[in-house]
Amino acid sequence: MATPQQLQLLAPLSGVLMALDEVPDPVFAGRIIGDGLCIDPTSSTLCAPLAGVVSDVQVSGHALTITSDTGVQVLMHIGLDTVNLAGKGFIRRVEAGQRVVAGQALIDFDADYIALHARSLLTLMLVVSGEPFDSLVGSTGLLEVGQPVLDVGVGVSPGENPAAAQGDAVFSQPINLPNPNGLHARPAAVFAQAAKAFSATIHLHRLQAQANAKSLVAIMALQTAQGDSVQVSAEGDDAEAAVEALTRLLTEGCGEAVTAPAPVEVVGAEMPNILRGVCASPGSALGQVMQIVEATLMVNEFGAAPPVEREALSQALIEADMALQHLRDTASGEAQAEIFRAHQELLADPSLLDQAHALIDEGKSAAFAWKTSTEATAAMFRSLGNALLAERAADLADVGQRVLKLILGVHEQTLELADDTILIADQLTPSQTAGLDTRKVLGFATVGGGATSHVAILARACGLPAICGMPMQMLTLDNGTRVLLDADKGELQLHPDAESIDQLRTRHAQQRQRHQQELAQASEAACTRDGQHIEVTANVASQSETAQAMELGANGVGLLRSEFLYLDRQQAPSHDEQVATYSAIARTIGPAHNLVVRTLDVGGDKPLAYVPMDSESNPFLGLRGIRLCLERPQLLREQFRAILACSALTRLHIMLPMVTHLAELRLARQILEQEAQVLGLTHLPKLGIMIEVPAVALMADVLAPHVDFFSIGTNDLTQYTLAMDRDHPRLASQADSFHPAVLRLIAMTVKAAHAHGKWVGVCGAMASERLAVPLLLGLGVDELSVSVPLIPAIKSAVRELNLADCRIIAEQVSNLESAGDVRDALQRFHEVKVDGSPVMEN
Amino acid sequence: MFDKLQQAFWKALTPDLVPDEIKVAANPIEGLSAAMISALGGVDNLKSRQPVALTRVRVALHDAARVDREALSVAGVAGVMPLGDGVLHLITGLRAQG
Repeated sequence: MATPQQLQLLAPLSGVLMALDEVPDPVFAGRIIGDGLCIDPTSSTLCAPLAGVVSDVQVSGHALTITSDTGVQVLMHIGLDTVNLAGKGFIRRVEAGQRVVAGQALIDFDADYIALHARSLLTLMLVVSGEPFDSLVGSTGLLEVGQPVLDVGVGVSPGENPAAAQGDAVFSQPINLPNPNGLHARPAAVFAQAAKAFSATIHLHRLQAQANAKSLVAIMALQTAQGDSVQVSAEGDDAEAAVEALTRLLTEGCGEAVTAPAPVEVVGAEMPNILRGVCASPGSALGQVMQIVEATLMVNEFGAAPPVEREALSQALIEADMALQHLRDTASGEAQAEIFRAHQELLADPSLLDQAHALIDEGKSAAFAWKTSTEATAAMFRSLGNALLAERAADLADVGQRVLKLILGVHEQTLELADDTILIADQLTPSQTAGLDTRKVLGFATVGGGATSHVAILARACGLPAICGMPMQMLTLDNGTRVLLDADKGELQLHPDAESIDQLRTRHAQQRQRHQQELAQASEAACTRDGQHIEVTANVASQSETAQAMELGANGVGLLRSEFLYLDRQQAPSHDEQVATYSAIARTIGPAHNLVVRTLDVGGDKPLAYVPMDSESNPFLGLRGIRLCLERPQLLREQFRAILACSALTRLHIMLPMVTHLAELRLARQILEQEAQVLGLTHLPKLGIMIEVPAVALMADVLAPHVDFFSIGTNDLTQYTLAMDRDHPRLASQADSFHPAVLRLIAMTVKAAHAHGKWVGVCGAMASERLAVPLLLGLGVDELSVSVPLIPAIKSAVRELNLADCRIIAEQVSNLESAGDVRDALQRFHEVKVDGSPVMEN
Repeated sequence: MFDKLQQAFWKALTPDLVPDEIKVAANPIEGLSAAMISALGGVDNLKSRQPVALTRVRVALHDAARVDREALSVAGVAGVMPLGDGVLHLITGLRAQG
């Protein structure tokens, strides 16, 4: 029996003490995880309260456990419900398994970000191994980081009986974890607490790993994620009861609100036959799985003399830059080249280099310094709460890895790919994807990434199907597994049967045939069978896209997103540059067609470097579009002046985004007239507004006399009408433009416009959807502005329709109750009126 | 000059879109007592305030140097966390949860 000793724990943070009983979280207040103290922090670096080994650090960086050599385990948990931040706002400074000294910095956190995005910053320090302790401070008052706070009695642990009862273990069925963030601290505590009620020795298994089910830390160290398949095993007298109770607890979410998980496969196969994700690039393919795994690199913290390390770093940076330039020069498309150009810019970023040099001067190695500074910056990108910047963090990590390999002399291994490969990975980096042989790769499926990630962009540029947001389970697939990737449905089907394969082949053949037919007729007018002409125009954001659109038969441009001139740069574009760009686009279109230029549409959701704005708690309801332009009228004035310079080259239209009040239109028109007068123009371009805010759709009859045209931006109109963020992970699928409420607003707009002899276009994503064509035509829309590759398909869809039929179906569906019903009705209409018609049966 | 006129015109039409130069903040502000506001350098020094994270009030100040830490503590602020750019978190304790 060891003599009890005292171990002093230091305050991990400065801050204000709060009594544990008062913590507004039943798990912590009930001491289910352990007893300790709670600090409301005023410092933003969590420091080690004791010396020991980091026994677990959550991937999301919000919680960490240290085990001392004497077995005392201390858990620190920053904030309440911070697991939902998924790592944003936290920078881990230590790794699991690393030995730390008391007072060492463990996790940096962005207190402001967490305060604004999580429930609370209240930070817990809990003795989870259960030793009794004396408090050296009261239950309230101020603490300084590093100040001794608890005296823990070592060697008096209640200890559990490690001697396992002899006998065979009882195993549960595999259980798919329903918890959105896996078994993080709170559900793990509930689970461990329940396990402790049984005398049996109980383990929780995930893949090959297992954990003592009575140990909170051990469970957390399994790093489980939603959808992971786990099993419970128990050995001892009450083993069966334990397995039964704990299985039920896991299925029900261990006290967390969870949605019902997919039923467990009865056969015991852990892998369902179909894995589901989100479409990142449409299409489908049949092939075999190949997984890309990034090797972890060993980095020594301390280096040689600073000049030597600096030299090593700059050498690696030069080599990386050259390699990127080579990739850029040999890239198969503009999209790829653009990404490598962005990577080169990241490499040249002075703040990255400054940080790395500062670390080298402290005696760190070049590799360590570079790794630390790129990781910290990537974490900062992620913490800004902006999806686009978070995707750029992936780019930074990629380019960081490239340089790191050069410093360490690790050679890129070239991937040997079999024919018909479907690549799977946790996350594919742009470097990995760009070097791929697209003749052999047929598609991608990744766990991470989103529709705006570079991988998705590359996949779309190469025309390869891709899905992201796949369950982690996918990574356990063996290389060579036959799969059917159906990106349109967001599905990966394992071991597809002959019938599915046949269906896919037939579908491919039909699509190819239809596509060729559409292309052949692209230049013909889009007239319905009863003779109504519909303008099919293009949504573009560059001169090259405009040229491509005109080749594909566009009747001009229905939406020029002028933001492309302003984004990704440090200063506003000069007048000459703007004029040159607008003129080139206008010339490409020519005097026979419309060019609709939308004025700068930026705001808090897509900020510009040189238009500083205060951060807004809800940018979609903030200073966006015309609101921002009228706040900074000089920007708008300059843009008008540049657009007007091309008024003789094409049928010029100017369109204002996010208009809510008539006054905004009047004010903009006034500025436009002044600029036209300065240029001596007698003939003003047409001026119209976008219908995105429900208010202007409802007021369309009042606005119509003052505009030359309306163009409906269905994406924003839908999210504002339904009050659903179109990027919300749970709501996005319901934020559907086919909702009857949106259709009624479109009908209202068209009616008002036509009463005053004005035309109405639709430039939102809805116009590019084949299924929506009869609906929009039936509602009376005059122009469809669509994404460039879809121009031939939408034109051909128009030609298959009778306007009279469209009017009937449009009126009918406007009275249905949901978007789903509308889609079903249109599908039936399509089957009866289009597929069944004799025109298509040749 | 023209911009000023236009701004005034614009404001008359759409009062919600153009922010007032001087924020109306004389009345007691959610989560902040009069003594706290005075310790922060007065209403004029207050750019914004927002109750956050159950126990904190996030304030943005024009000039963080005008904060009187001692007076804040007397006014009942248990802790202050300066975050740069004039932003401070004042730890004022648990608010009733709705």
